[in-house]
Amino acid sequence: MVLLPTLLSFLLALTEYDAISPPVWRGWQNFAAVLQDQLFLISIRNSALFVLLTAPLRLLGALALALLLNRPQPGVKIYRTAVYLPTVVPSVAYALIWLWIFNPIYGPLNLLLGSLGLPTPAWLVNDKTALPALAFMALFQLGEGFAVLLAGLQEIPQDYYRAAALDGANRWQMFRYLTLPLLAPWLLLVAMRDIIVSVQGTFTPALLMTGGGPYYATLFAPLLIYETAFDRFRFGEGAAMMLLTFLSTGLLLLTVYKLVGGWGYADEV
Amino acid sequence: MPKIMRQSAIVVRYHLLALAIALMFVVPLVWVVAASLRQPGLPPSPSIEWLPNPPAWSNYSRIFQIAPLGHYLQNSLWVVLLAVPITLVVASWAGFAMAQLPPPIRRWLILLTVLLRMVPLTALWLTRFMLFKYLFLIDTYWALIAPAWMGSSPFFVLLFYWSFRRMPPEFIEAARLEGMGPLRIWAAVAMPLARPTIMTVGVLTFVQYWSDFVNPLLYLKSERLYTLPIGLQILQQLDITNWPLLMAGSVVLMAPVLLLFFLVQHAFWPEGRLSGPYGR
Repeated sequence: MVLLPTLLSFLLALTEYDAISPPVWRGWQNFAAVLQDQLFLISIRNSALFVLLTAPLRLLGALALALLLNRPQPGVKIYRTAVYLPTVVPSVAYALIWLWIFNPIYGPLNLLLGSLGLPTPAWLVNDKTALPALAFMALFQLGEGFAVLLAGLQEIPQDYYRAAALDGANRWQMFRYLTLPLLAPWLLLVAMRDIIVSVQGTFTPALLMTGGGPYYATLFAPLLIYETAFDRFRFGEGAAMMLLTFLSTGLLLLTVYKLVGGWGYADEV
Repeated sequence: MPKIMRQSAIVVRYHLLALAIALMFVVPLVWVVAASLRQPGLPPSPSIEWLPNPPAWSNYSRIFQIAPLGHYLQNSLWVVLLAVPITLVVASWAGFAMAQLPPPIRRWLILLTVLLRMVPLTALWLTRFMLFKYLFLIDTYWALIAPAWMGSSPFFVLLFYWSFRRMPPEFIEAARLEGMGPLRIWAAVAMPLARPTIMTVGVLTFVQYWSDFVNPLLYLKSERLYTLPIGLQILQQLDITNWPLLMAGSVVLMAPVLLLFFLVQHAFWPEGRLSGPYGR
């Protein structure tokens, strides 16, 4: 279900295919055409920008929330559930909700900002703020990383902290030399999954909220692939775009992996 | 005495901070419910409204009249009704099989499931479309629930694996000595003990198929087969500025998901390895 489609899409990328007549062999022409396509380059740039904005912030947010809500306080489960709620909202409903929240004139966000005397940008209608706005709304959907990191924190035996406390470690030292290294494999896992989800997660908001505009400011790779393949029936080109998109995602993942320096996989899962 | 006071001050501060953060995540959803009850046609409110006066409950019946949302809702229920049982059986079988394997193979399989979870779904759009076309599954629900035959998500297999691993191995061993086959052991011993996991995976599967927008968009053609998320898109195309109705539609789509999530939230949060009935 996964390997075979990847192989098939590679073959598809070398053909001209419109889903009706049989595929025609085109060799590398699709790749050459796609790489010269201005729109494709814009969509890759936008996707990269979106990932670089959301993935680190979501990881930091998830880590901070997991640390905060890991304490055995009464009622802590209610807070955890609250933090997770936006993540389970169906993508279509989430997009429509935020379309309304971002409404420049009577959306609640600008009403709130206005009542505080802050500037009220036009959000999705302005090509400078549209992409950051979509990134902002994606920040609230960090539940998955939050849950994984919470599970990771609970795997750390309490004895370690007691021993560290006996050695006179303060809270920052405990975090820096105990929590962080033990949490590293989980953080890497969340970071990599987050990058992938950020790339594909742009599709529904871009389709329903901005249609890729204004001035292609929110044209992301998945939206362009969808339009190329399913609206204009150019499957070969769509497949070539898809492979190039995932080649660049793969390179990004590899960079992250190298930066963190290999992962010590927890031996007893 | 001062120490106790200082400690309770810390507790209060902790709860204030946590509450503020929790509100940040929940308030947008409350706004939506308020907005869905506003009289359509009235000029938009100049300030943030917490409860419109009078609340227009009729918005919720209106949306079912202007678009065939009732029919789409039924379709969504059919898809979920097919997908959830298939997923539960396949994912629990796979998890059960993994739990019985010797450790080296097991570790490879776990790594594989984690890697499979990393595959971007967008990468599968085009080839799945072609695959379904050649199998004549385009424009049928089989295209939507195809992932269920593979357990819907590698993560669900892992959840079942973890819960089967936590069971005392003597249970399985005793059943085997009594001459039970693997299928009988799965059905009579393992599954009854994995009830919380069944609940969790069941709810997550429901959420996945209920919320699914991309697959119906790509693989369905006939209007009579559309599911509720597509119905919401149609509602948006009908009148993009009628916010009360659009918000009412959003509430209808997200209410079952949020409700189910509340029901299983207790099973959802980790309690730590050493607590719980099958601590090692």
